[in-house]
Amino acid sequence: MPPTPTEPQAVALHEATRQRYLSYALSVITARALPDVRDGLKPVQRRILYAMDANLKLRPDARYRKSAAVVGEVMAKYHPHGDQSIYEALVRMAQPFSLRHTLVDGQGNFGSMDGDAAAAMRYTECRLTRVAMELLTEIDQGTVDLRPTYDGQHEEPEVLPAQLPQLLINGAEGIAVGMATRIPPHNLREVLAACVALIDQPSIDTAGLCRFIPGPDFPTGAVILDGPDVLRQIYEDGSGSVRVRARWAREQRGRRALVVISEIPYSLNKASVVERIGELVAARKLPQVVDVRDESTDQVRVVLELRDESDAEAAMAYLFRHTPLQTPWHVNLTCLVPVPGAPHPVPMRVDLRTALQAWLDFRQLTVRRRFQHELDRLRERIHILRAFAAIFRDLDLAIRLIREAEGRRDAQERLMDAFDLDDVQSDRVLELQLYRLSRLPIADILDELEQKLIREAEIEAILASEAEIRAVIRKELLDLKKLYGEPRRTSFEAGAELEYRESAYILQETSYVVLTRDGWLRRQATPPRADKVRVREGDEVGWVLQGSTRDTLTLFTHLGVAYATRVDDVPATTGYGEPVQKHFKLADGERVVGAVILEPQATVTAEEGADDDEDWPQGVAVTAGGRGLRFPLGGHSQPSQRGGRRYLRLDDGDPGVIHVAIAQTGDEQACIATRAGVGLAFPAAELTATKGAAKGSTAIALKEGDAVLAFDLSAAEDDGPTVVSAKGQAVVIRPDRCHGKRGARGKELLKKDPFALWTRRPTLQTDPPGADAPAVAAHPDGGED
Amino acid sequence: MSTPPPARGPAPPAATYVADDIEVMEGLDHIRRRPGMYIGGTDESGFHHLLWEVVDNAVDEAMNGHASEIRVTLEPDGRTAEVSDNGRGIPVDVHKKTGKPALEVILTTLFSGAKFDNKQYAASGGLHGVGAAVVNALSAQLDATVRRDGARWHQAFRAGRPRGGLTRLGADRGRGTTIRFSPDPEIFGDQTFDPDTVRQHLEISTFLNRGLRIVLDDRIRGEVHTLVHEGGVADYLQRLAKDGGTSPAHEQPFTLTRAADPRLDIALCWTDGTSERWSSFVNGIPTRQGGTHEQGLKDAVVKAVRSWIDLHDGALPRGIKPTAEDIREGIVAACSLFIGRPQFQGQTKDRLNNPEVRAQVDGLARAALERWLLENPSVADAVVARVVLAARARLASREATQQVRRKSAVNRKLNLPGKLADCSTSDARRSELFIVEGDSAGGSAKQARDREYQAILPLRGKVLNAEQASLQKVLANNELSDIVKALGCGIGKDLNLDRLRYHKIILLMDADSDGHHIATLLLTFLYRHLTPLVDAGHVFLAQPPLYRIDAGKKTWWAADDRERDRVVKRLPPRSRPEISRFKGLGEMMPKTLFETTMDPARRRLLQVQVPEGARLETDQVVNDLLGKDPRSRFRAITEYMDLVDALDV
Repeated sequence: MPPTPTEPQAVALHEATRQRYLSYALSVITARALPDVRDGLKPVQRRILYAMDANLKLRPDARYRKSAAVVGEVMAKYHPHGDQSIYEALVRMAQPFSLRHTLVDGQGNFGSMDGDAAAAMRYTECRLTRVAMELLTEIDQGTVDLRPTYDGQHEEPEVLPAQLPQLLINGAEGIAVGMATRIPPHNLREVLAACVALIDQPSIDTAGLCRFIPGPDFPTGAVILDGPDVLRQIYEDGSGSVRVRARWAREQRGRRALVVISEIPYSLNKASVVERIGELVAARKLPQVVDVRDESTDQVRVVLELRDESDAEAAMAYLFRHTPLQTPWHVNLTCLVPVPGAPHPVPMRVDLRTALQAWLDFRQLTVRRRFQHELDRLRERIHILRAFAAIFRDLDLAIRLIREAEGRRDAQERLMDAFDLDDVQSDRVLELQLYRLSRLPIADILDELEQKLIREAEIEAILASEAEIRAVIRKELLDLKKLYGEPRRTSFEAGAELEYRESAYILQETSYVVLTRDGWLRRQATPPRADKVRVREGDEVGWVLQGSTRDTLTLFTHLGVAYATRVDDVPATTGYGEPVQKHFKLADGERVVGAVILEPQATVTAEEGADDDEDWPQGVAVTAGGRGLRFPLGGHSQPSQRGGRRYLRLDDGDPGVIHVAIAQTGDEQACIATRAGVGLAFPAAELTATKGAAKGSTAIALKEGDAVLAFDLSAAEDDGPTVVSAKGQAVVIRPDRCHGKRGARGKELLKKDPFALWTRRPTLQTDPPGADAPAVAAHPDGGED
Repeated sequence: MSTPPPARGPAPPAATYVADDIEVMEGLDHIRRRPGMYIGGTDESGFHHLLWEVVDNAVDEAMNGHASEIRVTLEPDGRTAEVSDNGRGIPVDVHKKTGKPALEVILTTLFSGAKFDNKQYAASGGLHGVGAAVVNALSAQLDATVRRDGARWHQAFRAGRPRGGLTRLGADRGRGTTIRFSPDPEIFGDQTFDPDTVRQHLEISTFLNRGLRIVLDDRIRGEVHTLVHEGGVADYLQRLAKDGGTSPAHEQPFTLTRAADPRLDIALCWTDGTSERWSSFVNGIPTRQGGTHEQGLKDAVVKAVRSWIDLHDGALPRGIKPTAEDIREGIVAACSLFIGRPQFQGQTKDRLNNPEVRAQVDGLARAALERWLLENPSVADAVVARVVLAARARLASREATQQVRRKSAVNRKLNLPGKLADCSTSDARRSELFIVEGDSAGGSAKQARDREYQAILPLRGKVLNAEQASLQKVLANNELSDIVKALGCGIGKDLNLDRLRYHKIILLMDADSDGHHIATLLLTFLYRHLTPLVDAGHVFLAQPPLYRIDAGKKTWWAADDRERDRVVKRLPPRSRPEISRFKGLGEMMPKTLFETTMDPARRRLLQVQVPEGARLETDQVVNDLLGKDPRSRFRAITEYMDLVDALDV
């Protein structure tokens, strides 16, 4: 090869990319990630099993050998990839929680459901299982084609002569390029029954086969929640999602009520699930559960200690929703299927019938080749036996011819002439040992010939008829079914949903919510002392509200929006708490002007709420612009979105709501003070009651340029909000000093001394209104925003 | 102004040092001898300082609610200025201790002003009581006219000394003070007032004193300006932002106005600019070098934004940790503080040095800022977005700076990835970079190469798919950023082909499926992020041999079918050659690798190009095969399945 300096050839980037990428993609699809429909194996699995059988003779009755020996053998001869990926494949085939029927019999630590890795391959030992042998025994009977290995030094089978539809029995998972596969394991009995059904009535469809295979049967058991229709659809489409849920039962230990989880969904890491449950318990999200323990040995046993016996359903309902103890298991029946005319099997998403039929077709071919192989061997033998028979008919002649012959070749030729034998026959005759010439062995040979001829006729008959072959397959399947069949582990409980109620998981506790004028929010379990509450500089406590963690805290802002959250979700922090802006989406500058804790009530439609005007308590709002309205609170008793819901619409130019007060009985007086120094008091019930957010009616007729400074409700004639004048005089707006009608002008309380400041006391609430009030019949839906 | 006067304790900065001394001096001789001690010098700035002193006195009167307008007149000669206000007027009654009219005492005696006792003035700029006397002492001529108590009074001075006593000019119902003066040329030489300087100074005064109205009658140029800013410091901020050519990142700037204890005005906003601009004043005097008040405000801004971020989980994208500089980037701020005993530092005395001020301003501004952010969620979101932008830009620019630093000749190797086995020559035109898959192949390539001009960069495992990742993620990926570092030409908009360290970038991958995959990932990366390299023809694919032929004890390699047949034909007749497809580069001895794949005389390179007519198709193919949509990938794979000739099984 003389060196010839070459100019670089040009190649278009997209061509180079496309060619290389497709080469990679096809290689991964056809030779790495997807199983073959015929033996259900990926190449690495096939190579491991083959090497263990053919090279290392690690059959079920052999002594265990180090996994490293297997990995080394596979890597050197068949699989030029990393040792770890080979070992991982080997380990998975030995895990009883991964495969429904393991193919490798492992000795040592082969990992656990907790995600523990197997011991290193220098420690673990392995051999084949009996089920694995059902994939391998026919291999030396000419049943499958062999092809050269990657380096041309050896040969390997293109596919194993699987006597079982191992693809469906053990399932498969793999991610290729542009496609992936996820086939669940199935029950061997059911799958074989379906195969037999398919032999018996070739026209049966997938729906018909689903009568035999109702669904996956996971090695880890558990429960399938979907009904037959859903599963049939999945098997017809070759894809879909099965809901799998852990199996659990109640137990009693002393006085402790327990829930014991004994089976978890397939391919779930048990340790991480237990950890997740532990986190939920620690975060007090699940008040029904006191403790969680993993008491598993080789049997799964996760124990939840309950607060109370009656809590079991609620606890499990929560766990099924918030942990993978209930999981959608996505099925994708993609595999490689041989197609007439194609050089390699092609990737295909198949339905159940196609998968079984493809395996049966392969089985048909394998069995035919097996018989053909037997027939060929048989005929060879018969050929020889026939020669022996001819010789025995005139043994003396034969002996004489041999004795007279000049050497071996001459003897052979003489025999061929005298007895009409061919080269092979005469050669074998010469190889006969002398003792064979005694009487008994001669009889044996003749006997054997007779047997062989009968067998030949049998096989010829079988090979002549596909039906005969099918009958053989059918019988073999039934034998295997008897041998390996096991009861189903995964059960079906369609519709066994547990009721999930969010409020069931909030520990009912009395809480005190502290809210400052600047909107800092927190709750605590003990009643706060207003003078001891920490607030930021310039801020002050505005509301101290008592309620239960299951109640709703509703905040009213000056822009007419109400924001509601469960008390449980109010941060139970020390310090200043958290700003309301963190919990709700307030507008810039939006301020809280009212707050109340309400007992959650079912939302009632507006029609039903026709007569709610006089149901108390109600919210009463007055704006700086002098408008006022009252509204039922029922519509605000459920948590709102971050954006809140509107309770009032502001007039253009109205700076906003001054205060939202809670009228308990409807007998309270609304006391209003304006900046100009006017006071007005009138019965709060005179204000318009509105369903939905409205602008309300005039509460006080303001003079030009005046604005409401203070508004509050008063239950007594001699009490009301306190305002301070510009000259520093404190004035209590008492109903008895400034009685009037709603919408009146009010009374000028101080001459030439406007009101400057409203000195407010914190609003205290001891019980959520509605708690002991008569059932609030209905209320408008204030939800539109 | 409607704010009530607070109690403050002003005293002259040099009080303890000059007190006894100066009071014994006859009149104001000392001032004339050492003007620098009082007005900082006799240069232009000292010259104008006289005017500032007089104006400041008027401003004090206005800011304490006694005057509504100040009129400043510059005479055409440029040497005479007049400042008048409609305030209470300087008292003219006889001062008990001295027996002279108060006006004369104020204008001739140091420490005589009313500002010492806090009763009359709350906050004041200027020299705290020495101002009028100093101006008088340094003026060739000064005329003081006072209207108060129903009459008009006048007294004239020369070089600080009264020329005659106070005279009553007649009845007048008005009130106010007018000071007209001409700085003494003996001291200041031939200087004149600069109308622009005066106007700017007066305008700043009106910014810092909200609602203050100053009329500047500029007779030098014949212009009259009315200066008033109802928005105060906030208006000033707007002016600053506009002057900087930046636009605000959010609605409504932050403002803090505090009337007293201490009097503090702050306005700030974040803009799209990339620098910070802080403008601060103490007692109306610009502190160009900042100081403790500005530092306090900076602390407050950073702490307030941090505290908002801490309160809102998930406010920041993952991996973003803003520094103080990130938080302040783009800020334009104005801060005006009035305090009693300002201590200034620095050569030009324009940095505030009072240590207690820092914590004071920090405390006040932080609480207000935190509140402002909380109560204005949309502003807070905009501010945090601005901060995140700054942090991201910093990360990106750090990468870019590193690129630049790498280029400097002295330490050009310092920033190269550790795995790179570089070549000896620094001539980029001759240099070749082999990007090799895996350490095992990298090892043989390293041994095989010609170290003079061939560099080796081994990659570990599969690189990131650049088609599905942002530039940021790409740069965060070790393998890809090693490539960028090794190439030295930068990436994205900083890419500069002149800095490219190798003119041949050769991808050398195993001929198996994973090798193909890595090659496509690298091509995608180069195509999407380093397009100019591809366009300039710098990117090549190496072609390792396809076949390995074993016969007897010898091994041959063949690059294609023709060569394989030629090798086989030349073998001795009885030998039985075993031919296998070549898989990994690690299979070859280094020498063989060089001969077959790396030696420029014998290797076959493929030069990667994007043909002009196939730009669209290139984009399409890369996007289909490596993009995010699995369906188009599936389509492309099934469509072209037949095109693939080599299947690795």
